[in-house]
Amino acid sequence: MASEAEERQRLLRAVKKEVKQIMEEAVTRKFVHEESSSITSLCAAVEACLLHCLKKRALGLFKYGSTMALLQKVSKTFEPAAEVSRLVSDLETPSSTELSGSRKSLDNNKNQTKKSSSNVSSPKYLWLRVAIFEKKLAKILDYLVQHNSKYYEPEALIADPVDGPIFASLLVGPCALDYTKMKTSDHFWTDPPADELVQRHRIHSSGSHVFTSPGSPKRQGLQVRRDASNATEETRETKTFHMSAREYVESLHQNSKLTLLYGKNNVLVQPREDKEALAGYLSLHQSSDGLIIMWTPNQLMNGCCEDTADETDRSQFWEFAMTIYLEDIVYIHCHQQPDCRGTVVLVGQDGVQRPPIHFPKGGHLLSFLSCLENGLQPNGQLDPPLWSQKGKGKVFPKLRRKGSRLSSSSSTSSGSTTSMDEEEAADYVFRIIASFKPDMLTPEMLDPKAPWAPSSPRSPSSPERSPWPVRRQLPPSPLVRTSVQSYARTQEEQNNTCLVQASNDGTHRYYGYMNHIKQLCDIMTKQIISRAFYGWLAHCRHLKTVRTHLSGLVYHAAVSEDSPLDGKVGVTAEMWSQLCQDGIVTNSSEVYRLVYFGGVAHNLRKQVWPYLLGHHKFGSSPEEREGLEQAVRTEYEKVMSEWLAVEAIIRQRDKEVIAANLVKLSQESTDGHIPLVRKDSSLSNEVFVSFESEELSRPETVVEESSTARTTPSSDRKTSMELSITTGIDRAVGTETPPMVVKKGISLQDSPDDGLGDSIARGGSTTTETDKSKTDSVGDSGFLTPLTPRSLPADVTDRITMTTKLSVDSAVLDEENANTRVEEVKSRTNSALDDADSSSKPDSMTTSRSSLEPRAAQDYEPGLEVRGHLSASRESLLSPASPASNGGIYSAELLDSVALNLHRIDKDVQRCDRNYHYFNCENLDKLRNIMCTYVWQHLDVGYVQGMCDLVAPLLVIFDDESLAYSCFCQLMKRMSCNFPHGGAMDTHFANMRSLIQILDSELFEHMHQHGDYTHFYFCYRWFLLDFKRELIYDDVFSVWETIWAAKHMTSSHFVLFIALALVQVYRDIILDNNMDFTDIIKFFNEMAEHHNTKQVLKIARELVARLQTLIDNK
Amino acid sequence: MASRKKVLLKVIILGDSGVGKTSLMNQYVAKKFSNQYKATIGADFLTKEVMVDDRLVTMQIWDTAGQERFQSLGVAFYRGADGCVLVFDVTMPNTFRSLDSWRDEFLIQASPRDPENFPFVVIGNKIDLENRAVSARRAQGWCHSKGDIPYFETSAKEAINVEQAFQAVAKNAMAQESDVELCSDFPDPIKLKDDQSKPKEGCAC
Repeated sequence: MASEAEERQRLLRAVKKEVKQIMEEAVTRKFVHEESSSITSLCAAVEACLLHCLKKRALGLFKYGSTMALLQKVSKTFEPAAEVSRLVSDLETPSSTELSGSRKSLDNNKNQTKKSSSNVSSPKYLWLRVAIFEKKLAKILDYLVQHNSKYYEPEALIADPVDGPIFASLLVGPCALDYTKMKTSDHFWTDPPADELVQRHRIHSSGSHVFTSPGSPKRQGLQVRRDASNATEETRETKTFHMSAREYVESLHQNSKLTLLYGKNNVLVQPREDKEALAGYLSLHQSSDGLIIMWTPNQLMNGCCEDTADETDRSQFWEFAMTIYLEDIVYIHCHQQPDCRGTVVLVGQDGVQRPPIHFPKGGHLLSFLSCLENGLQPNGQLDPPLWSQKGKGKVFPKLRRKGSRLSSSSSTSSGSTTSMDEEEAADYVFRIIASFKPDMLTPEMLDPKAPWAPSSPRSPSSPERSPWPVRRQLPPSPLVRTSVQSYARTQEEQNNTCLVQASNDGTHRYYGYMNHIKQLCDIMTKQIISRAFYGWLAHCRHLKTVRTHLSGLVYHAAVSEDSPLDGKVGVTAEMWSQLCQDGIVTNSSEVYRLVYFGGVAHNLRKQVWPYLLGHHKFGSSPEEREGLEQAVRTEYEKVMSEWLAVEAIIRQRDKEVIAANLVKLSQESTDGHIPLVRKDSSLSNEVFVSFESEELSRPETVVEESSTARTTPSSDRKTSMELSITTGIDRAVGTETPPMVVKKGISLQDSPDDGLGDSIARGGSTTTETDKSKTDSVGDSGFLTPLTPRSLPADVTDRITMTTKLSVDSAVLDEENANTRVEEVKSRTNSALDDADSSSKPDSMTTSRSSLEPRAAQDYEPGLEVRGHLSASRESLLSPASPASNGGIYSAELLDSVALNLHRIDKDVQRCDRNYHYFNCENLDKLRNIMCTYVWQHLDVGYVQGMCDLVAPLLVIFDDESLAYSCFCQLMKRMSCNFPHGGAMDTHFANMRSLIQILDSELFEHMHQHGDYTHFYFCYRWFLLDFKRELIYDDVFSVWETIWAAKHMTSSHFVLFIALALVQVYRDIILDNNMDFTDIIKFFNEMAEHHNTKQVLKIARELVARLQTLIDNK
Repeated sequence: MASRKKVLLKVIILGDSGVGKTSLMNQYVAKKFSNQYKATIGADFLTKEVMVDDRLVTMQIWDTAGQERFQSLGVAFYRGADGCVLVFDVTMPNTFRSLDSWRDEFLIQASPRDPENFPFVVIGNKIDLENRAVSARRAQGWCHSKGDIPYFETSAKEAINVEQAFQAVAKNAMAQESDVELCSDFPDPIKLKDDQSKPKEGCAC
């Protein structure tokens, strides 16, 4: 009984799992394909449940392995089941008649062909499939559960009062889904049944590419890419091979495009004169535009020769594989050997013979021909017809006699038919006749919307080959052809060739059918006209979309690359001296044009860039520029002195926090058991209480241990208070509840401060003085401040006492020196600027510093020693009279936000381009100054990661702080909105999307299939930093100046076109490897600094021109 | 069927800027440390194949930008995450303090099925530095309060404990995965029926 229950659970679990699988597939892929393997496995799981303890004997089903019979039983009483049953029988009948020929041959061939596998798998669980697709399975199962006693043993899963209904209800979900027959490009490759997967893998890996991980062809592809990124030509070849191999294998299987009519293994073909005949798999397929004969060497079909044949051998077999389109074939020569082997030679319209195909012993030649003839009908037939003598027997020898007689008799009538060797083996020549009549034109020829080209693949090695030609054929045409007229003309040409070909066929095959041809021509004329019209209409619509959405992205006037002179030379020294007459540059458009097409010579960038960035005006005299420089420098120094003063305060705060933290840390180290008490208390209490207390006390827990300068003012206060409390408790009683209550109280008290503390995160410490001004608003926390210095000496070691005293001392000292310090700050900043080294400590400070430093530095860790001596001016800055304070007291919020920004800048400046030679310590300090100055001026925005990256190249070029700063401000006018607060990124993404849709519809389709992909996050860094991280420094310079020049030449959104060019360069890789959102992010991150910038810029300019043409071409 | 499908675990690394997220990821995946990393902009990921309980698992480790401004990007990257690594710098108390907001923000944006039991791992990085400011006990306490998140002290520079930390997140994510696979999809119908049948047994006792 127990094992029965287990079994039931196992079955049920299997169903659950499959249902989950299918539902997830539905969610993630938006639809479930009818041939999805997950449906098959779901059906298998359901089948297993249905078979569980089925009353086979009682129902007379014991001889059946499947539940189809059960369905038939149920359908007698239950209408939905009957419906499903009807559909199933409908499905079964036509397929069997259609394939009768091949079935027959299969039987003859003892089921050796692959046909058997593909044909058997689909009817398996057929009724279950149908029931799912028809959304009736849940109902049927429910019915079975209701009437379980009739069909099932009592211990069956269906009969179980609990499991049965669960089982039925599980299927409700899958029955609510919509299933599709639509093929997606990756369907066959990514989601095939297991056996097919293995076979494809084998065949596929017989080429030069071997899957290391059969489960994820996508990832593998990515690696292939990376290796080959520089050797493009080679890649292309292998890629084509890779693709065609895959498609080739697909084509061997039964699929929606091809019906397999005949298959025979070990058919010998002599692919070349100098080669021995090879054994291979011969298959005959029916496709939408005719029959295809394919022959694949055994070496490619299975892994039989894996040990012997190495990779190079393998690949040459691909050259031998044959694909023959029967519409190209006119004659079939059959040679019968006495030992019943047969040879077929196919001769094309051009008279060229295809390699002979040798059939093994047995009636294979005959069955092949019969299948061929079946396949030709109704639009064609063999002449002489193979089965015309059917009544007299269809076995091989009889055919031979009939054939020989027939061929000799028909040789007179058909003229070209000849029998070659009449000794004892009989040879025949068949002609393939298409009963080609105008009224038998295929519907797609009459339908103007039908695709132009025949949809079947032409040859496995042809790179244009695509199994989904509709999508590929239509969209690019309007883009490639620039006008409606030429568009129509090309189409006309296409049709003309069609016509020529058709009439060729006509004369060739149906000499004398002139009337029909005339009719045919009329139809084609109409067709051509209608197609031209539809093409024109589509093109117009397309253009309308382009104009409405994208015309804003480019300027409408095209810029000539060659006049007045070749723009590719760029701004060279010679050119610049011409342009810069008497130090005045007036011809702005020529400068822009040259920069746009050719860039700037590196040593001129320092002069040219200020113009490009709008820092210098065109036409300004050298004196004007000099004046501007001067003004900019003065302003820069002024701003810098402002923030340096604030920085000083912050440094001081930091220092004091360090002191306080040091107290804490040393206390913890001497009184090691304090945290233990805390820990214990939280553990010994009830879970609920301790959890809460943990939660609440967390902020100060952090601070308690911090030894660095980074804590918030509020937490500093909390800390000091808590310290006294904790130690007090520790000494006195050590009960657990009181401290917790107190702690909670503190957290709550300080909560108004907490929000602030969070936002500043890395703020410095509060000083006692700043506290006073601040804590008034906080209320009762004011009393904490005086408490700090007094309570500490009582409790802690001598060392701590010293440190705390120190902080008090320094505060006193500060007040005394306040006035002199202000002067010093000013002098320091000025001198710093003059020296272009603001970070070095001026000597003027050393004296005042020495009074503080010796004591401070003893206790502070050396690494944390900061330029804090300047902070002495803090007190003076607080007074309204201070000149640097903008005439007011710095608010705590301001200090906090500056502190936060400063710390962030410090962190990023250190990391910015440290591998680039220019950025040594000195120049990093310049970078930091520029960054801080900018942020000080734009505190509302603050520092955002990435800004450093934008300053760096400017600084490298100018090597001058104030100039770089001013140009950076100009640059940020455009860039600022790209940062998270600006919201321009989404606009960029939307524009990218539209541009790709217009300029590369195939890629767009691909992206569309991967839903997330349209977010274009892989472009995020590109737009945020103007490709600064994507390229090496020299390339960044040229890309940047091109962007700036483009703003005045062709497009103010040139970045979009560079991005588009980057996508374009790698589009084939993206498509071939079927990359999704994540793949492409990874791909481009890995490609960073490996792009060919010249090529990318060229493509970008071409893309702009293309869009301009597209928009202007009315 | 499931055995053929390769298991892909998406793991997100979060934490303040400069705590060493990129270094951790590269140390774990490529076994190398560089002091040349720049501030991460946008997001990047690396993959690594690992064995978890005898199953081959592909870990897709996402490295994100540390500045909280860029969290708006998060929703695109966090979605579908199977695990999350929260990193702080043991020398910077405020990076430890931000763990709360990183965790909350992640749970909001990724909105996992079972936020209470989502596989997090906390890493205290840079233990090779001397000026340590957050004690292991403190960090452990926080992890404990958040539902016993595993805590690891690592040094990406010295390659201490990095492997273990990521292995833990992979393991927990896998455990979560298989739990979800079997039960949590259809919890309601099963439970209802079970409740009905169980009391009967109870009565019999």
